[in-house]
Amino acid sequence: MTAYLVRRLIQIVIVTILSAMLGYSLLYLAPGGPLLFLQQMQNTGQRRVTEEDIARLKARYELDLYLPIRFTRWLAGFPAGPIQVGGVNLIPPDTVVGCAIPGQVRLRYPDGTVEIREEGCVRDVTLADLAERRTSRGILFGDFGLSQQIARDRPISDLLMTRLPYTIQLMGVSTLLAILIGVPIGIYSAVRQYSRFDYAMTGITFVGSSLPTLFMGVMAILIFSVLAKDAGLPYLPSGGAQGIRNYDIPWIGTVQAGSTLDRTLRFIMPCAVLTFFNIAAWSRFIRSSMLEVLRQDYVRTARAKGVRERAVITKHALRNALIPFVTLLAGVLPTLVAGAAITESVFNWPGMGRLLVDALGRSDYTVAMAILFISTVLVLIGYLISDILYTVVDPRIRLA
Amino acid sequence: MATTTSTPAAPGAIERLQPRSEGQWTVVFRRFRRHRLAMASLAILIIIFTASILAPWIAPFPRDDIGLNRTRLPPMSADPVTGQLHILGTDHLGRDFFTRVIYAARVSLMVAISVTTLVAIIGTILGLLAGFFGGWVDNTISRIMEFVATIPDLPILLILSAIMIQNADLIVLPSWIIGPVAWIMAVPNREATQVALLILVLASLGWVGVGRLMRGMVLQVREMQYIESARALGGSNVWILIKHVFPNAFPPLIVAFTLGLNGALVSEVAISFLGFGVQDPTPTWGNMMGFATSYMFNHPWMPLIPGLPIFLCSLAFNFIGDGLRDALDPRLKL
Repeated sequence: MTAYLVRRLIQIVIVTILSAMLGYSLLYLAPGGPLLFLQQMQNTGQRRVTEEDIARLKARYELDLYLPIRFTRWLAGFPAGPIQVGGVNLIPPDTVVGCAIPGQVRLRYPDGTVEIREEGCVRDVTLADLAERRTSRGILFGDFGLSQQIARDRPISDLLMTRLPYTIQLMGVSTLLAILIGVPIGIYSAVRQYSRFDYAMTGITFVGSSLPTLFMGVMAILIFSVLAKDAGLPYLPSGGAQGIRNYDIPWIGTVQAGSTLDRTLRFIMPCAVLTFFNIAAWSRFIRSSMLEVLRQDYVRTARAKGVRERAVITKHALRNALIPFVTLLAGVLPTLVAGAAITESVFNWPGMGRLLVDALGRSDYTVAMAILFISTVLVLIGYLISDILYTVVDPRIRLA
Repeated sequence: MATTTSTPAAPGAIERLQPRSEGQWTVVFRRFRRHRLAMASLAILIIIFTASILAPWIAPFPRDDIGLNRTRLPPMSADPVTGQLHILGTDHLGRDFFTRVIYAARVSLMVAISVTTLVAIIGTILGLLAGFFGGWVDNTISRIMEFVATIPDLPILLILSAIMIQNADLIVLPSWIIGPVAWIMAVPNREATQVALLILVLASLGWVGVGRLMRGMVLQVREMQYIESARALGGSNVWILIKHVFPNAFPPLIVAFTLGLNGALVSEVAISFLGFGVQDPTPTWGNMMGFATSYMFNHPWMPLIPGLPIFLCSLAFNFIGDGLRDALDPRLKL
């Protein structure tokens, strides 16, 4: 078991670094960014941009460093200055690690066109220069740097923290509800296979799990917000986690913006859509795994022994049917934090998924990458937890 | 599962002596026909697909015909100037909804079909190779599949397509990609770049499912006796792969293909809805939905117009997948 865990942890570290590299190369390849903004200012004539301005901006976003150095600084905050062991420099502190102002070579072609090419370097950045900079602790240690567009110069981790409670609230409640409702439905459908209840539930869950959440979300707003309001019925407000001004709802009265009632009303729809989707998927899953188990010999044996039906189902069948369900639940962990981008966008819910969409819409790729990185790590942890849980719920499985 | 019956027997004297037998696909189709919902779905899909193919001919208006004096007309209303009928009304720029919906069907369905086809090809080849050859080939491919499967789908899809689409002007795709895409989607060449980019993004991440499925199937089939006898007959690896392994690993691929169509359609719709996919004026059901939802509070029918085709196609793909799964499962008595 210990050897297994150690091996898995090493694997997780490797995959984490690989996915960080993937994310970083995407970031690096993405055009746009702060320099484009500066260029636009120059083009529109708002401000004269000097070489110094560019160098300062580059230094701020570390764009003046060579790619490998930039990557290790981003990943683990290394090197943060001259590399020393016991006061002795391992590498000379004047080692060049980047270029603050590139040299420009003006090429004049015979046909009269002029091309300016960057070649060589006018001012280098050395290892010693790095000591004066604000160094992030590296994303491996939870420091994702500064947001560039969405909230200028605020640390990304702050930004994530303001969104996290909303996502955990939404995903946590809907996951819990889906388990509490979906699992019994699945069990009952399996026990009463081909009953009217089973047919109805199979139909509903089939449709529920095949419809895109986008469609369900929009339809929910259409029916419960727009049409209900038009018909003068009590309706559910949509959009955001809390209202801006007070509003009236028939039969309920005036709702104070920001009150608990307001928040609850706005929470109902996104939560219901996510819950419905999960109920549909999970009850189908539980049903088929229950049906599988109910056919087993040990269930027949239990019945033959005269064990009461309730005990057969809960003690003998359900415990075994839940084993594969555990793996499914491991997939929930990343969504608890990363949220549901589509549902959150449809309902304007200020969670992580919505943040991802907003960040991408404004080309703030560092924020997007932070969210991607966190959810990848959570996926890995989810896999590990599900493997360990497997041995807990099923003693026959040994990890080696 | 029949081994080689999928190839039609050559007509000849020998065949006439044998009792009349049904080919595998006749049986499958007969079984499939019993699934009423799947047949109805197939009919609906064929109608939508035909309409999308005929879009340039049956569309009553030009695709991007903006008219600011006729914005957001309800369905079945007449044009205020010409008196022509807008069957499904008009959008926020006064463009005819019916025209745009069928052009959008072309883009959305064709994106789904091209993505799924690409995914099936890449996934099948890699899955077959991994499963059949084992060893370092399997190791390499399996590790890549594991890695891609670890990255959460939707965030990486959104990030990739956002980066690609927002800088679509900077990316130059070869004309042998742009040309066919523009032709299939019935869009001008300059709009085809973003559609092609979206297809590439969706396909580059989607193949893992098919790859795993095919690998698993091959691992099962590889141990069968007919493979051993094919080997004993002196069959080469390539011949065995194409002639014996692939046909037997094929049925689950069809089901995966149908469900994959739904997955690709829904992904395209979601990405375009959020604004990182195909951009207006190229219509897709996703970006039409995106615009329609911003007007839904005063014009509640608007999201239904792109919404219903999404709903119908999504359900239809799932029903057909379900019907095919049942029809292809020889253990299931229908």
